[in-house]
Amino acid sequence: MKIIISNSSKEPIYEQITSQIKSAILAGELQEGTAIPSMRKLAKDLKISVITTKRAYEELEKAGFIYSIVGKGSFIAEQNLEVIKEKKLKVIEEQLGAVVTNSREIGLSLNELQQLLKIIYEGEG
Amino acid sequence: MFNLIRRDVILQKKMLLTFIPFIGFFIFMDSHPALIFLVASIFIPFNAYAYDEKAETNILLNSLPYTRKEIIASRYLGAIVYMALSIAVTSLALFIFNKPFALSDIAIGGGLFLLFTACTFPLFYIFKPGYISSVVLISFIFLAGIGPPIVIFLAENLTAITDFIASLSIPVIYTGAAVVIMTLYAVSWGVTTIIYQRKAF
Amino acid sequence: MENVVELTNVTKTFKDFSIKNMDLQVKQGFVTGFIGANGAGKSTTIKMIMNLLRPDAGEVKLFGLDYKTHEKAMKERIGFVYDGNVFFDGLNLKDIKRIVAPAYKQWDDTLFYRYVEQFELPLTKAMKTFSKGMQMKASLAIALSHHAELIIMDEPTAGLDPIFRRELLDLLQELMMDGDRTIFFSTHITTDLDRIADYIAFIQSGELVFNQSIHEVAENYALVKGGLELLDRDTEKAFIHIHRAPTGFEALADNMKAVKSIFGDTVVIERASLEDIMYYMKGGVPHV
Repeated sequence: MKIIISNSSKEPIYEQITSQIKSAILAGELQEGTAIPSMRKLAKDLKISVITTKRAYEELEKAGFIYSIVGKGSFIAEQNLEVIKEKKLKVIEEQLGAVVTNSREIGLSLNELQQLLKIIYEGEG
Repeated sequence: MFNLIRRDVILQKKMLLTFIPFIGFFIFMDSHPALIFLVASIFIPFNAYAYDEKAETNILLNSLPYTRKEIIASRYLGAIVYMALSIAVTSLALFIFNKPFALSDIAIGGGLFLLFTACTFPLFYIFKPGYISSVVLISFIFLAGIGPPIVIFLAENLTAITDFIASLSIPVIYTGAAVVIMTLYAVSWGVTTIIYQRKAF
Repeated sequence: MENVVELTNVTKTFKDFSIKNMDLQVKQGFVTGFIGANGAGKSTTIKMIMNLLRPDAGEVKLFGLDYKTHEKAMKERIGFVYDGNVFFDGLNLKDIKRIVAPAYKQWDDTLFYRYVEQFELPLTKAMKTFSKGMQMKASLAIALSHHAELIIMDEPTAGLDPIFRRELLDLLQELMMDGDRTIFFSTHITTDLDRIADYIAFIQSGELVFNQSIHEVAENYALVKGGLELLDRDTEKAFIHIHRAPTGFEALADNMKAVKSIFGDTVVIERASLEDIMYYMKGGVPHV
């Protein structure tokens, strides 16, 4: 499992962990049932405190991405990827809608908006 | 408990090498056997205090799984154990150098040692570290140098008591002295335990 | 049993300093960093936890047990590392081990020699010839060789070079793989804590200011910067301490949410580091 932590990032470390594990799951890199390292092992490997990995795992568990069995460890939960993707898509649609409304208000053309989107999309890549 | 007593030997490994020459010196000086038994007995238990004041030994001992009662008990029991061993070694040395000594010498030397121990051990826990060596030295000089003249002075002036003691048979005197010394030793042990339990490190 | 160490209403008064009504809990399975300026009462608190010092009032419990009745059993389960060398400095490590080892029922010689090897410690040289770092490693090797559940350290990183400090943190992290183990250590080097501490207990002039998880500290404490015109008798109440300069103010707040709702976007809000917190609170804790 690959996780890279940035200490200078504004994003809290536990969020960096959850978002990276989530994307690995959504990208299909982590399959259902795969065992992930214990939170103590992960803390040691990432050189961070146990409470941080504990919080990351708790949030992942709450969101249904992983499950834990006492004495056995944590595993990737069954995911209905289609449903998740559809949900995400819906969120994106809503956000884009807002973007379009805002753009119209200041008279931004579709072309200009597309260019802006392109810069942001590629810049973040 | 045994470990606490044993640690004095580990601590004093090097010092112990000087033990035989130390006794040898007194033997060649032709000192009284009782005195030799006394100084031989003092050697290990009092050296131990010299070591204890050097390091922050009390912090160490009290952080290990020992109770304060045990730490003090190890001092008092250790003194007896080391006295017995020292007397055995000294007897052997006297025997080898062909110096005559009587059982009463052992009894007097040992008795004086226990008396000295009972008087000084509580002082170690009352005075600040750093003064301890001087306290021991002064009390030893006091007991060895000033003690006997006082006893003689008392003996000459308080004839009632000396007459009473003289009237007793030897076994009674020895038993009486033993009881007195043992009582003092026990009281000293109790007092030191109380002092030590109240200490902060 | 969730709290390994539990201090309830502990008070200890000295001539010129006192610990007042301290309540302190150390959670099992986590690393708690104990911070505070020099003289804030860290060592005194640790001494009371170790029963080297008895509180005037209040209760000290470890593993749910009391020193009055279970002293030996409790100390059997503690590994300790102190600031200075408490071992006989004329002795070598082998002899020190011969004195310390029999004190513990659970002493593990194999483990001890493994640490000696890992730390590259000489067995036959007198402790007094050791450097500060080596003395610390030796104390640590002894503290870790009897399978202690609670490891208490007083300023373990003071006077150590950065490389060894990092090695020490690695080692502590390895120890925390065992979920039953608890570490409680005092330090005034706050960067040590950023990496491994789960909880931070902050003491100031003998009083415990807070004992929170690092997340709570990060979410509650904030450094706020803005123009002087924003400050008035009401808005000032959001802060613990304010530094004023002609260019604007810088202040510490312990309730980031409240600050956000009062000032909105008119101020810059940053996460306060432990050092910021210690610095701004050095004047004392206001009692509101």
